[in-house]
Amino acid sequence: MNEVLNFKTKLLILCLILSFLGGSVHITAQEKKDFPFPVTQYKFKNGLHVILSEDYSLPLVSVVMAYRVGSINEEPGKTGLAYLMENLMFLGSENVERMQHISIIHKVGGEFNAATTGDKTIFYQRVPSNQLTQVLWLESDRMKSLQIDDSNVEQAKLDILEEISLRKARDPYLESSWRFDRLLYGNFAFGHPVIGSEDDLRNLTVQDVKDFYDRFYIPNNAVLSIVGNFDRKKALADIKKYFETIPPGEPIPPVPLPKSPEKKSIVESMQAPLAQSPGFHLGYRLPSPASEDFYVLSIIEYILLRGMSSRLHKRVFKREKLVLELNGGIERRQDQTRFKIFVVNNNQYMVQRCKKAIFSELHKLKTNFISEEELNKVKNMFRKDYINQYTTSLPKALFLAESFLSRNILLNPAEELEKYMAITPKDIIGVTYRYFGVESVILDVKTK
Amino acid sequence: MKVKNRQAIILIFFLLSQIILNSPLPSQERFRRTPPIPEPFPTLQLPEIQQASLYNGLTLWVVPKNDLPIISLKIIVFAGESFSPENLPGLATLTAHSISRGVSDFSSSEIEEKIEFIGGDLSAEIHPDYALFSFTFLEEYFDEALNLLSRMLIEPTFIRREIDSLRTAVYYNLLEKNSDPDFFTKRLLLQALFTNHAYKKSTFNEDGLRNITQKDIVSFFDNHYRPNNTHIVFAGNLNFNTIFRETRRFFNRWQRGESNHSALPSPEPQEEMKVCFIETPGAKDATIYMGNIVMPATDPDIFPLIVMNQVLGGTPNSRLFMNLRESKQYAYNAFSEIEFFKSCSVFSIHARVRPEVVESSIMEIFNDINLITDKKIPSFDIEQSKSYLIGNFPLQIETYDDLVSKVAEHKTLNLEDEHWNNYYENIMLINSEKVFELAKKLPLKTPVIVVAGDGDIVLNQFREFIKEVDIYNKKGIYLGTYKFD
Repeated sequence: MNEVLNFKTKLLILCLILSFLGGSVHITAQEKKDFPFPVTQYKFKNGLHVILSEDYSLPLVSVVMAYRVGSINEEPGKTGLAYLMENLMFLGSENVERMQHISIIHKVGGEFNAATTGDKTIFYQRVPSNQLTQVLWLESDRMKSLQIDDSNVEQAKLDILEEISLRKARDPYLESSWRFDRLLYGNFAFGHPVIGSEDDLRNLTVQDVKDFYDRFYIPNNAVLSIVGNFDRKKALADIKKYFETIPPGEPIPPVPLPKSPEKKSIVESMQAPLAQSPGFHLGYRLPSPASEDFYVLSIIEYILLRGMSSRLHKRVFKREKLVLELNGGIERRQDQTRFKIFVVNNNQYMVQRCKKAIFSELHKLKTNFISEEELNKVKNMFRKDYINQYTTSLPKALFLAESFLSRNILLNPAEELEKYMAITPKDIIGVTYRYFGVESVILDVKTK
Repeated sequence: MKVKNRQAIILIFFLLSQIILNSPLPSQERFRRTPPIPEPFPTLQLPEIQQASLYNGLTLWVVPKNDLPIISLKIIVFAGESFSPENLPGLATLTAHSISRGVSDFSSSEIEEKIEFIGGDLSAEIHPDYALFSFTFLEEYFDEALNLLSRMLIEPTFIRREIDSLRTAVYYNLLEKNSDPDFFTKRLLLQALFTNHAYKKSTFNEDGLRNITQKDIVSFFDNHYRPNNTHIVFAGNLNFNTIFRETRRFFNRWQRGESNHSALPSPEPQEEMKVCFIETPGAKDATIYMGNIVMPATDPDIFPLIVMNQVLGGTPNSRLFMNLRESKQYAYNAFSEIEFFKSCSVFSIHARVRPEVVESSIMEIFNDINLITDKKIPSFDIEQSKSYLIGNFPLQIETYDDLVSKVAEHKTLNLEDEHWNNYYENIMLINSEKVFELAKKLPLKTPVIVVAGDGDIVLNQFREFIKEVDIYNKKGIYLGTYKFD
């Protein structure tokens, strides 16, 4: 009998111990041993993904809190919510007063910023390493209990409306780029501007903002990435303390992908009343970033547009002197990627010549093998830029958070780089054929 | 019975624990209410800088950094704008940019290709004292990089066509800056402060560029681009001996020149307040820049000045921003800064304000200055500023490029090693008394004040505190003096 009771007692004690330890047994850790720098990942029971990477070279630490939410998560009539949330995140939470976040980071000599894109919102700070706990306290408070009231929402709306009017005044081509995105993405969620429309912003209610916050700014939709000089055990204990009791939200279904684009080209034109010179936007639809072709397309971007010796710079800038401004590259919004080029020319005649020149360069890419020397040059430029992404604590923390958000796993950057370096002239011809056909989208921008 | 009781107690505990663990949490845990107390500030181990000179006088500085396959370097040639002839301002700028526009056997385009082939970025900045070239590239191309650099520094061709194209680029760049009030207001402040000094030449506008000929550039280059007038600072995963050996291999043939670089005298501070105005009709804001000449960075008083600047206007938490923007709501921003030159520094305050409150803003700036010169800054403010400066220092040297920039700044300003090695200690030693003693000595109350804004709204406001205002255009050309009745 005693033995039986003893057994039951032991079982009960074990249950008790396990109940109290409930939190810690739900964290799963994964160390990435083959990375070019130390990385360990953790998954908390509320879904928060944590990436830690120690670097003891300086007494600094960079903290990135990234949420998988951007303009693609907005509904018609409610555009601008994600960008508005970015602004609100600095206007106070239950225990952090308005602007106190900024003030704390400044006082300790740190830096901070935030960015909203089509598919993510990122907050980051770089501070002396003894301030890590302070930053975790700040980030957890705005994740748990952001202050969303009439006054804060109105203030954020006013600030953004002023920003829109300033940007329109400074950039006469801004509205053309918004229209071009609508044409190129061919879908409301992916094609509307991140900053939102002025009408939608004015009509947003406090409830709209609260709903958006409750839905997306939750631990199971976030990645916390910390790089720098810290003690892993202590950091993990602090992260548990500040984040583990923040409840998870409802799982977020993925944004429906647009229908496959029709195999046809689109040509439209519009007037830009404030523009002094005409120009045009040219775009192509690309495959998902998970496609193997995406590695080749990244190298094609460098061949055409990166550096003063890139093909388009040499041709339309230097040799034929057709453009006043030329920029572009690959743009990515979740699984949707596009290749965009924007050009400003002196006059309409130059516009036509410039288009011909660009099409002719694309044709050359399809019909002639790139020389070994040019391909090596492009790969070297790419390699340096790629390595630069993880040179110091903040770029590395951003790189890790964004890499995870993009694919839901952390790919080994060294192995990834190898894939870019293995691209051959044949790959380039094949991929150019596949994606740079006649199905381009062109928006001509005319002056008044 | 005893056993049964114990079992019951354990069961109750278990049930209670389950209730506690599974029930919703109270509105918030106690630890969330206040910020955590930071741990002590960590120690900073600065990298040791090694130095050597080639026989021709070229000086090398090496900062070991070995975590990436990248090399970053800065070349300092003491051939800044203050060395341009009086009648040819802009000559130092055109010369510095010209060296990458063609060498004996490579054209400008070929040089661009070669730089990009090694994953390189090359840029040039021209200061009043020196020209600074920044070059970053993949480490396996160290030899190629040095070869290319040595060609540019020893045998540039200065082809006329390239000079003309460069002149046009610099011209349009300056022309574009005429739409940036911060640029032309600050330029006029420096122009007014350096009126009788060689540094004034660094405030040139686009008009003078047309007078510069190919011959002028060749002559300026021959006089100043010499190894005994040049330093190179390296950071990267290479040992000192390799760097020394390879640099000697490529730069040995560079002929030393006459050393005619006597130190410039320090410019005199402005002794009476002076106001300059730049008319920008219809401007929505007014831009204020005001400042005066203070001691060079080699002066021991530089550390109290750095702390004082932080209290007054170093960040948005500093007094100027909090007063002019947050409290009075006059300004969009308000900061102070120290700009270092070899023979002096310039301490300045700048703000972008609503045009109708220019005079009130200037008065508030003077109030904030008086609070520093007339009484001691409370220790709390001093300690907070020191905390910022110490915390921020490692942020300034994290990238390879930042690190070599910081070392290059030390070398160009002739700072002692002690300045680099004991930065923390030098800041920590500053207290209210030291800042107060310094603030009383500084010419803070007799600044040159430059304002750009809409004359219809701004100009009459100056009558409240000065009898006349000098009027300039955006290029910095004097147009006349406006006298109040």
